[in-house]
Amino acid sequence: MIEVKHLTKTYGDHCAVDDLSFTVEDGQIYGFLGPNGAGKSTTMNIMTGYLAPTSGDVIINGHDILEEPEEAKRTIGYLPEIPPVYTDMTVAEYLRFCAELKKVPRAERRDAVKSAIDELELGEVKNRLIRNLSKGFRQRVGFAQAIIANPETLILDEPTVGLDPKQIIEIRQLIRRLGEKHTVILSSHILSEVAEVCDQVLIINHGKFVACDSPDHLATSEQKQKGSILHVTAQGAKQDVLAALRSVVQVRESDLSQDEEGNTVATVRVPGGSDIRGRVSQALFAKNCVVLSMSVEKASLENIFLELTDSGNGAAHADDDTKKSVGKMASDLVHDELGIQSYTEEGAADDGDAASEETSDGAKAEAGDAADNVRQDIDSIHAQLSGNEAEKTSGDVTDGEDK
Amino acid sequence: MGAIYKKELKSYFTNMSGAVVIAVMLLVTGLMFRTYNMYYGTLTLHYTISGSWLAFLIVVPILSMRVFAEERKQRTDQLWMTAPVKLPEIVLGKYLAMVTVYAIPCAVVCIYPLVMLKFGDESLKWDYACILGFFLIGAAYLAIGMFISSCTESAIISAILSLLFVLMTQLMSSIFNYISSTTFSSLVFLVVLAAIVGLLVYYMTKNFYVSLGVFGALAVICIVAYKVKSSWFDGRSESIMRIFDFNTHLSDITNGSLSISNLLFFISYIVIGIILTVQSIQKRRWS
Repeated sequence: MIEVKHLTKTYGDHCAVDDLSFTVEDGQIYGFLGPNGAGKSTTMNIMTGYLAPTSGDVIINGHDILEEPEEAKRTIGYLPEIPPVYTDMTVAEYLRFCAELKKVPRAERRDAVKSAIDELELGEVKNRLIRNLSKGFRQRVGFAQAIIANPETLILDEPTVGLDPKQIIEIRQLIRRLGEKHTVILSSHILSEVAEVCDQVLIINHGKFVACDSPDHLATSEQKQKGSILHVTAQGAKQDVLAALRSVVQVRESDLSQDEEGNTVATVRVPGGSDIRGRVSQALFAKNCVVLSMSVEKASLENIFLELTDSGNGAAHADDDTKKSVGKMASDLVHDELGIQSYTEEGAADDGDAASEETSDGAKAEAGDAADNVRQDIDSIHAQLSGNEAEKTSGDVTDGEDK
Repeated sequence: MGAIYKKELKSYFTNMSGAVVIAVMLLVTGLMFRTYNMYYGTLTLHYTISGSWLAFLIVVPILSMRVFAEERKQRTDQLWMTAPVKLPEIVLGKYLAMVTVYAIPCAVVCIYPLVMLKFGDESLKWDYACILGFFLIGAAYLAIGMFISSCTESAIISAILSLLFVLMTQLMSSIFNYISSTTFSSLVFLVVLAAIVGLLVYYMTKNFYVSLGVFGALAVICIVAYKVKSSWFDGRSESIMRIFDFNTHLSDITNGSLSISNLLFFISYIVIGIILTVQSIQKRRWS
């Protein structure tokens, strides 16, 4: 188990890591996620004892990295961003050196080197100088170095950078295999990789902790907040489809369009992450519109990542806060609206604390009115949001280019 | 320590540097031996050894320039900084590897006195004292060269600085012949020294006021001491510059006086060089 407590690292005036605290549980694969300059490498360098923190503690498997550095370092294998290989050595020579450096007992050294070479499939290059190896092979040699002493915890700084797609897949499989026996912490820019490989995602930004959860949980909570997007293609007039959809969910006319074959295509934002496909198809069927296709687009890790780390710089920051609060308001309102809708339509059967049996007709009417008001509010907020959304998308694009 | 020592030693011989160092050392000492002992017929290695310091101008930069600078540049220092090894072990391992390479030509030089035995009554004790002095001065240079290498990321800068250090410490005895030894000039010298200390403090802490304070305090102490007891300043600049005077200590030994103070002079340079190297690498972790 690795505990990082109130870790701070400053370079002059620049604060690379700012009061970062998190815990890494045994036996899981952690993805360390953050934009460039978020402090991922600095944090990893501090955890492995390469750098010393300005303040804060790192406790690796029960040993403080500053007070008992040898014991702590014995339990970790580290693959830095640039593999720390000596280019004037052959692969086998280098790995033998690493095994000795990492205090692998003399009797086990030969086996340790052999198993590392086998694990990383370095057999064909083991007698070549590292200088003459490609980037991918060097990366694998660096990997072999990290696992050679069979440490409890592996810390990998961007392990798949510079590899070809086949090697990336192999390395991912290797990481997953290693994850069965070791605790693995890897940092990455590649979100799909993290989503695919990691059990837990740890997001940091500007040296601060943002979130730590499993990718699925992050997606679910994001979906609850932002909602999912429903794509519907139906045979029938635009007005019919609109009416049918409106009976289930809040739809604007601009969400609908006609494709070349005269079918109506609707893209609807569904708040709250609830699955409304069944109700939509029933409603469309009732209007004699045949559903040709229907799919739900779930919040991807990309969106979550951008959402969580998109605090922009200085001036954009305040704007972003308002955006978030507007977004939250809207989602709250939508929640309310949905609640009221089900209340009016289904007699509030599932609202436990609303004392549904005693609800009079008057109350129902009142609720309906309230729902209408809310709906208007939502419309205005939606308009506001879509403006912001456009702005945000353009921001995201430049973010992407930065990478 | 063993792992890094073996690795370093091997790498000196997989690239050219080990061979170049041995060749240069043997060339220079061999040339001196041929000239002074074989040609002019001097007994003892006295002149041979004191003339051979020229080899350090090449040997010290070649051996020490890459030792830490290159590791820092290639980021390979991350390997041993994150391995379960103490930093002094790494520094010692690397230092001993350098000294081992340097010791090989020194061992060859040990044959020279035996050659001289053929021509007359050679004082072997004197000869081997000379060689011991020569070995120690080289080891001291390598320790300082290693420290210089640990301060920079560029092997070239490290090479130039260690070359300048060798040159300065060898020519120091000639330099202070040209410096006035009056009490006032000693005061000026000490104030300049205080300014250099202040600059070093600034380089290490990047804090202007602290370094100014250090410089101010040292300068004021010097001036007050000058007012109170100016006789203390008589010849003070020379005695301070003697700290860097390797040449006189070596010639003391080659002249036949293998005193404890001469040995301690070089040994303390070795120890200080190693300690400073460890500190300079530690400092980089914390800054």
